[in-house]
Amino acid sequence: MAQMAEETRERVVLATFTVAFFIFLIAPILVVVAVSFTSVSYVSFPIEGFSLRWFWRIIEYRPFIDALVVTIQVAFLSTALAVAIGVPAALALVRARNAMSEIVMTLLLSPLSMPMIVLGLALLFYLSALGLGISLTSLVIAHTVIGLPYVVRTVAGVYRGMPPDLEESATILGANRWQVLRHVTLPQIRPGIFAGALFSILISVDNLPISFFFGSPSTNTLPVVMLSYLEHQFDPSIAALSTVQMILALAGLFVIERFYGLRHLGAPT
Amino acid sequence: MSDAHTLPMRKGAPASGAKPYQLVAGWWVVPSLLFLAAFFIAPLFVIFEMSFQEGRLPVEGGGAFQNYRRLFADTFYLGVIAETVGLSVVVTLVCLLMSYPVAYFMVRHASGRTYDLIIFLLIAPLLTSIIMRTFGWQVLLARRGLINEGLLAVNLIDRPLGLLNSPAAIVIGLVHVLVPFMVLSIASVLQGIDRRLEESARILGAGKLQTFLRVTFPLSIDGVGTGAILVFMLANGSFVTLLLLGGGTLQTLPLLIYQQFNTTRDFPFAAAMSNALLVLAVLCLYLQLRLIRRRGI
Repeated sequence: MAQMAEETRERVVLATFTVAFFIFLIAPILVVVAVSFTSVSYVSFPIEGFSLRWFWRIIEYRPFIDALVVTIQVAFLSTALAVAIGVPAALALVRARNAMSEIVMTLLLSPLSMPMIVLGLALLFYLSALGLGISLTSLVIAHTVIGLPYVVRTVAGVYRGMPPDLEESATILGANRWQVLRHVTLPQIRPGIFAGALFSILISVDNLPISFFFGSPSTNTLPVVMLSYLEHQFDPSIAALSTVQMILALAGLFVIERFYGLRHLGAPT
Repeated sequence: MSDAHTLPMRKGAPASGAKPYQLVAGWWVVPSLLFLAAFFIAPLFVIFEMSFQEGRLPVEGGGAFQNYRRLFADTFYLGVIAETVGLSVVVTLVCLLMSYPVAYFMVRHASGRTYDLIIFLLIAPLLTSIIMRTFGWQVLLARRGLINEGLLAVNLIDRPLGLLNSPAAIVIGLVHVLVPFMVLSIASVLQGIDRRLEESARILGAGKLQTFLRVTFPLSIDGVGTGAILVFMLANGSFVTLLLLGGGTLQTLPLLIYQQFNTTRDFPFAAAMSNALLVLAVLCLYLQLRLIRRRGI
């Protein structure tokens, strides 16, 4: 009896703490969503009046739209490149159980652990020396470096969970390697590729520490424009833009959930 | 009896357990390797080399190590390094204290649907831009913001506090960004703990708290370690939060690199600071790898 009461008390205390924790986590985000619907030209919360004028302001403010185009181009091109080189690498590494493959896997994942600002500075000087300088190509290369680990990690995770017997059976039944790859392996790892690609896109869209080194009127990404806007003025258009971005990202999360399941993404190792 | 049947069979069959079927050849990793060699390793070498060049403000005595001498001999820059590490330590500790109860609740008490909801609520903020979250805190912590107004309304304070542009605002902002990683790390390890070990401790007379301190917590230490290293590493490299919420009250290496690049344009010195930051990151990476090895993932 005493133990059950103790159990209930623990449960109530922990539940209360958890609720407070999530209020802390979610409140600032909801505040921004609310501010984006304000009708006045200064930032205040609770908001005064309701209007969609700040969403119109995003469309009218030219640098936002230019930056959006750059952001989408960079996100999709870098992700396509990361998938093109990352998926073969993951396939080759998962089944090769030797010390070398472990080292290579560590190397492929290591951009995740580098301070982005260091990577950005280094890439800027290096790519400038190569003559690429501040360009869309440079941005795509830089974003591929940080997108690649996400693709390799998710694809390797899914492929590791797939029993080798399936591929082996297909071979025994007469399929050649390409047929096995196309008809057995790829359909099985497709959710992993999909999730990895979506992560890579989301990481690219939100990246600031690398993108700002490659900033120019024709290569500014959305976060770069938003940061410089915020440094000079504080109005609700940033809130509206953030809200739009969040809705797009949530749509992405929903898609991952449908195809892949969020539980698989739990452990960040 | 079954042994007698399976043993010869196992001998004849290909040793699939030892060497699994390999679909693609090893050279399939080459494109990735070449790409990273060209655009990840090489740039880091370039910046390493650059850090030995003479900067904009020639340091007394000159020489190849002048930037590093400036960084490690000047008390201002030593203070910056201390503040960088100190901030990351504080953020990591706060994250740990906040995360453990949540991870424990979600693994031990949450039902299937609550568990899924918690996972969603942890991951959803990771998808909002860092600018959005920082902006949210700017609104909440402002002089006329919700927190100040709330404190005034309940008469806890009689004039608005300068919450924004303070070290506290930086810690709040960074914890908000990084705490989900910590919860997920701890939860993934708590999930794997054999509960019979706790039950045994209880049966043998240990109290609830004692069981937690002597059995559960030690068993979850790998998750705590993984999360702590991850949070520490990410806090070390962050600068957007400091830029928008700190108002210059804390100077850290990433913030200084950003300023060197934007205003002073002393690139060799920025390169030296980058390398100092990189050494910290490599140290964390090494610790992380050792932990992962131990967990046998």
